[in-house]
Amino acid sequence: MPEKPDHYTLLGLQRDASPEEIRQAYFSAARRLHPDKSGSVQDTEGFLEIQAAYEVLNNPKKRAKYNATLPPDKIESGLIRQKTLYSRQSIPRMKEPQLVYALIEFLATSESKVPPAPPLNLCLVLDRSTSMQGQNMDMVKATTIQLLRLLRNSDTISVVVFSDRAETIIPATHNIELKKLEARIQMLKASGGTEIFQGLESGYNEIRGGLKESHVNHIILLTDGRTYGDEENCLELAGKAAEAGIGISGLGIGDEWNDDFLDKLASLTGGSSLYVSRPQDIQHVLIEKFNKLWQVYAKESTLEFKVSEGVDLRYAFRLQPEVGLLPIESPLRLGPILKDIDLKILMEFMVQAPGSQAEKVRLLEGEFKVSVSSQSEPVQSILLRLSRPVADSTKFQTPPEEILRALSHLSLYRLQEQARREVAAGKYEQASRHLQRLATHLLEQGQRGLARTALLEAENIQRKKKFTREGEKHIKYGTRALLLSGQEEDQP
Amino acid sequence: MIICPSCQYKEIPGALFCSQCGAKLAIVSNPDLPLGLRQKDSMTETGSNTTGKPDLKSTSPMMSAGARVSLHLVESGQILPLVERNEFSLGRVAEGQPIMPDIDLTPYKAYENGVSRLHAILKLVNNQVSILDLGSSNGTYVNGNRLVPSVERPLNQGDMIHLGKLKIQFLFSPEDK
Repeated sequence: MPEKPDHYTLLGLQRDASPEEIRQAYFSAARRLHPDKSGSVQDTEGFLEIQAAYEVLNNPKKRAKYNATLPPDKIESGLIRQKTLYSRQSIPRMKEPQLVYALIEFLATSESKVPPAPPLNLCLVLDRSTSMQGQNMDMVKATTIQLLRLLRNSDTISVVVFSDRAETIIPATHNIELKKLEARIQMLKASGGTEIFQGLESGYNEIRGGLKESHVNHIILLTDGRTYGDEENCLELAGKAAEAGIGISGLGIGDEWNDDFLDKLASLTGGSSLYVSRPQDIQHVLIEKFNKLWQVYAKESTLEFKVSEGVDLRYAFRLQPEVGLLPIESPLRLGPILKDIDLKILMEFMVQAPGSQAEKVRLLEGEFKVSVSSQSEPVQSILLRLSRPVADSTKFQTPPEEILRALSHLSLYRLQEQARREVAAGKYEQASRHLQRLATHLLEQGQRGLARTALLEAENIQRKKKFTREGEKHIKYGTRALLLSGQEEDQP
Repeated sequence: MIICPSCQYKEIPGALFCSQCGAKLAIVSNPDLPLGLRQKDSMTETGSNTTGKPDLKSTSPMMSAGARVSLHLVESGQILPLVERNEFSLGRVAEGQPIMPDIDLTPYKAYENGVSRLHAILKLVNNQVSILDLGSSNGTYVNGNRLVPSVERPLNQGDMIHLGKLKIQFLFSPEDK
């Protein structure tokens, strides 16, 4: 660190921390660094520093004086910076519920962008069921071999293939004997059913065996089919993986796989699902995924949060680095922060009428934790506190451009979600209506192909009371792809 | 609450986009972000050589003043803007036909899809468009429901119209006030 961290950073606090929070932060740090406990010289120094920080911050007069010497507030934990944009400057005092959007961004601080990317501990879990036969299997083989060639010396790889049972064809190794491994992959033949749990479990065990704090531990699951009956087991395993710091990404090929399931599975670990409609795209989607894993700056970020009374967190969506809906439960697993791509989360809050005396509305309080792979300190944490002042006037406030842009696309994704829910609930008229409206907006944005798909599905729903599997995925991943501004997207 | 200008849904204050139709809500006053169709230029361009009605340009500019009506031909992806009139007949041109439709759908496989020569009429009255079937052989459908001939049916932004089997989506942005 070129600069000495200020007292707040040192204790992992925000500038407006309450005395109680300061006390707690101090005690928790002191317990960690107390000389009696650790005994190392470095920790003793650390202990003295937090001691000094606490003495200043605990005294309101000293604290005020100290605050005056600080540069303007930027929330930083040394390695990670955090910024928040709101859709409104203030919340008007009204009797009815209102919506507020917050765009929360976490990024690597500029000084700390240099460290080399952490090594990977990666497992490819490949579906070899009968349906993969032909082009899909060929592409998967070719891509796997290409990835093996791209690996760095420090990376660890394992490959598991599964149908109704799993087989570890490459046990975790960092000694990449290309010829031998390539031969094993070439010999793969497609046969059997699809039981994802079999493959996932073997993959998990491979990663588990070589699990290292310093590595990016990740499973990439490739499948083209639905798994039956073992979804619960899979989700449970994903929960375990998340606890252990293992991420899971799902790559679905074609139209038969269950995207809701794969999304859920991946989002439990902070990962996301990807869709490949044609075998030709397998390669670049996988390579791109790899490139992202190689760029990891901080991993396994989580946000433990609670929303205040009278506030409802209605929707949370990650806009970057990978797009995806976030399940609303604490802790939120947010996945990695990449070197060059910030982590961006959009949240929608519904706020009940603020009390007549209230001066501000607290939306959410939470603690953001992340481990920065290149650093010796295991965990960085940032206190996140979202709030808005209450105003008596109700004049219109222009929201920040970035929020508008994100929402203009997100509202399309949500129309699609709504249509899917309506089909599931038997409300075919409404579903088809929503898709028609979706199509008009897609047209405005120049997405003619996608607009056409939406209209065809609208009609299909009226006639057959269901989506086509192909159309359903096209619309979902197509509208999701619109959210990736500036980033390359994996849609055909 | 705020009322969506496009679909009249009652949204919660603070919402920026309508959850029911996706229309922008709060920003109506901002000229940079128009509520309606953004690619007006490109559409006029594709429209002018496909409608086959160059004489429309000289007539009174009623539709173009505020409300904008376009037809999206789903199969071909073409968008036909309907401008400068309040009434349009839809159909296809055949030889020896005494009354010509305002919009000739022949280029979009009207014949193959069972479009009659004079199939239907679109009318704009008081910022609201409605459609009327002219007793066509294969019928006019809105969102899958067949229309009774000669009875007007109001249209909403995004409605799907079938003329026989020809699929057309109705695009409408009301007059800004």
